[in-house]
Amino acid sequence: MPVILILRRQEFQLEGTLSVKDALKQLNLSPESHLVVRDGELLTENDSLRNGETVKIISAISGGAS
Amino acid sequence: MTTMICNTCGQKAAIRMRQHRLALCKDHYLEWIIDQTQRFIEKYDMFDRREQVLVAVSGGKDSLALWDVLWRLGYQTAGMYIHLGIARETEYSDLSEQYAREFAAERGLPLHIVNVEEEFGQTIPELAQVSRRGRSKPCAVCGLVKRHTMNRAARELGFDVLATAHNLDDEAAFLFGNVLGWNIRQLRRQAPYLPEKDGFARKVKPFCRFTERETAAYALLRGIDYIEDECPYAVGSKQIEYKNLLNQLEENQPGAKLRFMLGFLQAREDGFFPLEEIAEEDLDLRPCPSCGQPTTTGGLCSLCRLLENARAE
Repeated sequence: MPVILILRRQEFQLEGTLSVKDALKQLNLSPESHLVVRDGELLTENDSLRNGETVKIISAISGGAS
Repeated sequence: MTTMICNTCGQKAAIRMRQHRLALCKDHYLEWIIDQTQRFIEKYDMFDRREQVLVAVSGGKDSLALWDVLWRLGYQTAGMYIHLGIARETEYSDLSEQYAREFAAERGLPLHIVNVEEEFGQTIPELAQVSRRGRSKPCAVCGLVKRHTMNRAARELGFDVLATAHNLDDEAAFLFGNVLGWNIRQLRRQAPYLPEKDGFARKVKPFCRFTERETAAYALLRGIDYIEDECPYAVGSKQIEYKNLLNQLEENQPGAKLRFMLGFLQAREDGFFPLEEIAEEDLDLRPCPSCGQPTTTGGLCSLCRLLENARAE
């Protein structure tokens, strides 16, 4: 069972136990503009993601006209 | 990997801010954001508790987080939501309004709403179609309508100050774009605080030193419901491109965005972007013969010209 990561309506799957930092890196997402949340709890980049669990990725970036 | 701990209490951290060399748990982070906001308000002498603050809210994380923080700090606030008429099929504007309404209702705060279509006869995407600069992307027209509407509302409704939730990423990206094009006129006007004068309301940006990641974390940890979907027109915008570039830099050089912004503000303070020159330009400000808002064009303001074109089409 892979780790499932949901960003808006898109679902990603990553294999193995890995850190939040590594997961974002594998998905080519900047840790400066994304947050990872497990059951409402905000995770830091050192926290581990485990096979079989589902986490949510929140994109913090927004904008158009200033 | 070792678990990150809160620098204040030693519990598990919820967030690390590398540029501040600071990790905090949920409770201390929420406290930190509130304390820092108060510090910025005082540092830039933005407003005090006797004044009426109109908070521009979009239903997104930044503006609802700002309103929440100002409310918790005991300021007298009301919200201002502008329904832009964006993406009828995905109900983007309708949903955004709903989040703003729910936020206000939960806290018993007043919310003023302006519907662009009802006010000007057309939605933002429709108005953009008649504008030379908005055909491919309505962001410039959207910005124009929002600035005009917010300024008018702040003045007509009798507010002392208009607060927007521009954050460090917004400010750094705007600065980057202006430096890239050496747009000195815009550079001179970029500040956390712009005083009230000649028909313009006082404008403040209490979140200008927080990153977008930090405001999103505040909204999340505070349990604020906000519209997570991005405006469909923001995809591929220059501002987002600049933000991505600056975030790449930030990954390798923590604090780069803050240094960029604070260095600019210091340069302003040191006289590199003289305020007197703004005053000179402002001498040419006259009320628009149609709407009465200040303009330097000598005739109709940019928005009234746009509306005239829209009516002529």
